[in-house]
Amino acid sequence: MVSTPRERKWQMVVDVDRCTGCQACVVACQAENNIPFNSESHFKQGRTFSWIRIERYWEGEFPDVKARFLPFLCQHCDNAPCEPVCPVFATYHNNEGLNVQVYNRCVGTRFCQNNCPYHARFFNYWEPVWPVQMRNSLNPDVTVRGRGIMEKCTFCVQRIRRAELDAKRQEREVRDGDFQPACAQACPTSALVFGDVKDPQSRIHEGLANKRRFRLREELGTEPNVVYLSKVDSEAKEAAGHA
Amino acid sequence: MPKALSRLLIGALVGLVVLGVIVFFVGNAWFGLPVGAQGPEQPIAFPHTVHAGSVESGGLGLDCTFCHRNVDKGAAATVPSVQQCMFCHSKVTGEGSTSPTALAEITKLRTAAEQGEPISWVRVHRLPDHVQFVHDVHIRYLMESPDVIVNSTPAIRQDGTVDAAQTCSTCHGQVATMAKVKQVRALKMGDCVDCHRANNAPTDCAACHY
Ligand code: HEC
Ligand code: HEC
Ligand code: HEC
Ligand code: HEC
Ligand code: HEC
Repeated sequence: MVSTPRERKWQMVVDVDRCTGCQACVVACQAENNIPFNSESHFKQGRTFSWIRIERYWEGEFPDVKARFLPFLCQHCDNAPCEPVCPVFATYHNNEGLNVQVYNRCVGTRFCQNNCPYHARFFNYWEPVWPVQMRNSLNPDVTVRGRGIMEKCTFCVQRIRRAELDAKRQEREVRDGDFQPACAQACPTSALVFGDVKDPQSRIHEGLANKRRFRLREELGTEPNVVYLSKVDSEAKEAAGHA
Repeated sequence: MPKALSRLLIGALVGLVVLGVIVFFVGNAWFGLPVGAQGPEQPIAFPHTVHAGSVESGGLGLDCTFCHRNVDKGAAATVPSVQQCMFCHSKVTGEGSTSPTALAEITKLRTAAEQGEPISWVRVHRLPDHVQFVHDVHIRYLMESPDVIVNSTPAIRQDGTVDAAQTCSTCHGQVATMAKVKQVRALKMGDCVDCHRANNAPTDCAACHY
């Protein structure tokens, strides 16, 4: 018998108050998802990859300046602007609330990237290369994307699948805490919390119920599945405003 | 015959040949059937017939899971290590064998074991990098649904289930009768999805592609 799993909807809560801008999530994501290195020349051309990145900006006037950090990743919007513009249905919404990118279906029109208000999508302008010594360090569960293909944060779908298969082997449902995406796992301050909102036991509800919650560019009506919690001190409100 | 007509005829003939070649290759790619129907040459001519073939047909009747240990536990079936072959082949040297190739082939294996070197088996089945396949979910499903098994008549146990080893033929054919393993089923996307549809298994792109 094929067991139909419980309905799922994956979301992430990002507590901006806890983020110290340490970049551990960025490095973890890069390693987990076979993301090629960004060189100086890539930066100069504005063609770098980072499925998750930390936006840093300053607040206040010297000498009273404060650094503010905002982790940015694909928002997995319920009403995603990238999806309807794909001419080949390479990006779509699946029944778990994930914004899926089917690499092998992608033909590289970059329409989705143009239409994304969060700059969360990245285009492979080159064949990815790794130093020879690192050939065996690639993650076998993640496709290596070739030239001409769009890619972006997947909410570590390979870890979701692995957790589902492990749960199936033990004849049970996936439990909260069975797995985390690489970024959340690496975060030293637990600023990133990932979970299934359809699971009443999930830790994510604590964050979702928080009064500090806001979503990026809510006014666009994209219905993001990443929820942010604003900075606690007084300046934070402004930061949230132009996030 | 006027020149123009013969030119036309030759043109038509060449066109027909070119079309034929194109139809052959496109058709072949479309149905994805392995051409030539020959498996690759292996570094040691390991015969499944001798090891996995039934005792009646002169084989040892070893269970597939004896060697492919991970097949009902994880994604990859895995191919056994040299040490595992040496359970038997530290004694079975092939000397005095009725098979003319045995001594030479087993000596290759024993040399590799002595030198502590792995054997570089050549992959027969290989899905592209952008497809994620998992063995164990399929094996477990087929063990409980023997009617989905094809290419063999499985021995059904009293509770209506079958052994893991009975399920392999569905995708790999009768490996136990192959001296050299070859791919018998297309295992292209259409092949996978047809079976998934028929059995109510996931057809979401992100089940297989990520
Ligand atoms: C004595 C150990 C042994 C047993 C028993 C055994 N195999 Fe194998 N199998 C191997 C080895 C070694 C290889 C790699 C060499 C080759 O491909 O011929 C292999 C290769 C294969 C492959 C091809 C893998 C690829 O590269 O795609 C398949 C399929 C396979 N076996 C299926 C089976 C099935 C089905 C059975 C049970 C009927 C079985 N095996 C029993 C040792 C074994
Ligand atoms: C259960 C014991 C057993 C195991 C395990 C086993 N073999 Fe064998 N193997 C045999 C026997 C018995 C023969 C037949 C020898 C003969 O013909 O005299 C044989 C024959 C062979 C032959 C010669 C076939 C021929 O006739 O040309 C090769 C090659 C071989 N085995 C390789 C392997 C490899 C590689 C492994 C590990 C994947 C392996 N065997 C594991 C028992 C075993
Ligand atoms: C649903 C179809 C299906 C069934 C059933 C199945 N296989 Fe496979 N097998 C595959 C596919 C597809 C591949 C290629 C996987 C890849 O390239 O990632 C494969 C690859 C293999 C390989 C080589 C690669 C590896 O994973 O180690 C072996 C060995 C193997 N199968 C053995 C078996 C045995 C033994 C059984 C029965 C217990 C079995 N398979 C049942 C589809 C199947
Ligand atoms: C003989 C029928 C059959 C064939 C052929 C087949 N599958 Fe499946 N597959 C199933 C069934 C049934 C399930 C569901 C098992 C369950 O959930 O208990 C499944 C489950 C899966 C899963 C796990 C999905 C999940 O997330 O639970 C993956 C991945 C998968 N198949 C990939 C493939 C690929 C790739 C191929 C082609 C190479 C393939 N399958 C060929 C019957 C088949
Ligand atoms: C049951 C598993 C499975 C599912 C579900 C699945 N695919 Fe595939 N797909 C495959 C396999 C296996 C291949 C590799 C075929 C080969 O060997 O070339 C493939 C290949 C492809 C290719 C490359 C072209 C080709 O035929 O090689 C594209 C494009 C593709 N899939 C798109 C999709 C899209 C879009 C979806 C969702 C609607 C999807 N796939 C769902 C198994 C699957």
